[in-house]
Amino acid sequence: MQIDQEKCSGCGICIPYCPARAITMQDKKAQVDREACLECGNCARSLVVRCPKGAFFEEPGLYEGARAARKFFSDPMTTHAITRIPGRGTEEVKTNDVTGRVRQGEIGIAIEVGRPCSGASMEQIQKITKALAANGVVFEEHNPLTHLMSDRTTGTIAESYMSEKVVSAIIEFADKAERLPFLLELIKNIAKDLDTVFSLDLITCFAEDGSIPVMPILTQLGICPMPNAKINLGLGRPLAPATRGGGN
Amino acid sequence: MTHSLHRRGSLESLAEDYVLLATAAAGVNHHGSKDKLRKILELVYEAGPANIGSYDTGTVFAGVSIEEIKAALAEVPRVRCCFSSKEKMLQVLKGIKELDLGISITVSGLIDEVLDMACQLDIKPHSINLSLGVWGKTEELPPEEILEFVTMCGHGLISKDLVAKAIADVKAGKKTPRQAAELVAHPCVCGIYNPDRAEKILAKYAPQEKPVPQVG
Repeated sequence: MQIDQEKCSGCGICIPYCPARAITMQDKKAQVDREACLECGNCARSLVVRCPKGAFFEEPGLYEGARAARKFFSDPMTTHAITRIPGRGTEEVKTNDVTGRVRQGEIGIAIEVGRPCSGASMEQIQKITKALAANGVVFEEHNPLTHLMSDRTTGTIAESYMSEKVVSAIIEFADKAERLPFLLELIKNIAKDLDTVFSLDLITCFAEDGSIPVMPILTQLGICPMPNAKINLGLGRPLAPATRGGGN
Repeated sequence: MTHSLHRRGSLESLAEDYVLLATAAAGVNHHGSKDKLRKILELVYEAGPANIGSYDTGTVFAGVSIEEIKAALAEVPRVRCCFSSKEKMLQVLKGIKELDLGISITVSGLIDEVLDMACQLDIKPHSINLSLGVWGKTEELPPEEILEFVTMCGHGLISKDLVAKAIADVKAGKKTPRQAAELVAHPCVCGIYNPDRAEKILAKYAPQEKPVPQVG
């Protein structure tokens, strides 16, 4: 985002809204640090910051180069072209009843890198994707981050995006449930060397008796999930088959 | 919007906070689903949500009307909102179940409470996204009183500085807890930030009213 210096009155109303702390006052005018700006669009929204002078404007050509990744991963009012989904561009458990992204006997893991508050560079994201790929993880096709990779088998992000940063991006994959202890140990080790944070999601289907099948494994590992969660009520249609083999 | 499962706070506070997402699945059942989502929006609005918004317009707290939200539904439409009471959430879910629209519905909230609602409505939940918390360089996170607010936005657009300003304004008596809670609501364009819950949290920072001197 940029600020028209002729229009800016220097009122500073925009400064606390920036999640990346990219706006500062210099010579009584607000300035955007281009490197720090994540292109989330907060500052320019007339119903959010309400800049009295309408001084914010998008950088010309923003959507044409690698910097567009900042916009698509940080601004929920844009839509990822490949997945046709706004926000972080993935439906994860939201439509799992009809997509069957995670089925019985499987677990889904979503690693939201940069949340809360820290933001994430592609370099940090790639640290995680490379370590996961080296351990047999296959990344979710319907997730826009997967499409930034030049080599999914190694988790390598395309070189052109490597200098970009985002509010957050979600690394997502499904795997066999029996691999859960191994994968959580792997993720724990990856976390030790990171220069940012991530919020960790674990997706599973309810068992026939209504229980949550991963709970005993988590207890064994000494991991206690938060008391709140996101629950797919199974009201979508057509329902996806319960297993990869097509069984219900 | 994965983040609605990572909301933080006391059990008492989280018990008054439910996020409802109605989502047409891209490439599966999104074609022709706009009218179905509009019916859900009507149910939600009638019940009295704590907040409601859209990726396309912003929220009611930013000055957008429910009619504008309905009119602007995208190619792959979705409804995003939150409720401050289990009773209202239950009422909406009951209506959605009766409509039988075939649209995927998720509710984020305390697991036991959401499962209880499903049980009351004879709904068999399909899957769950559990929060295993925050990992990595957590020592650089802001304090818990800030995180309680920023994690209420699904996309990280509520900045820690805006929350700090809201708290400072309430402490200084410049804003009421409600005014500050609504100020913080604006950046969360989807409308899953819960201003009722935020108001209650902010109330603890409000200056105590001085006792009125007794006359006579």
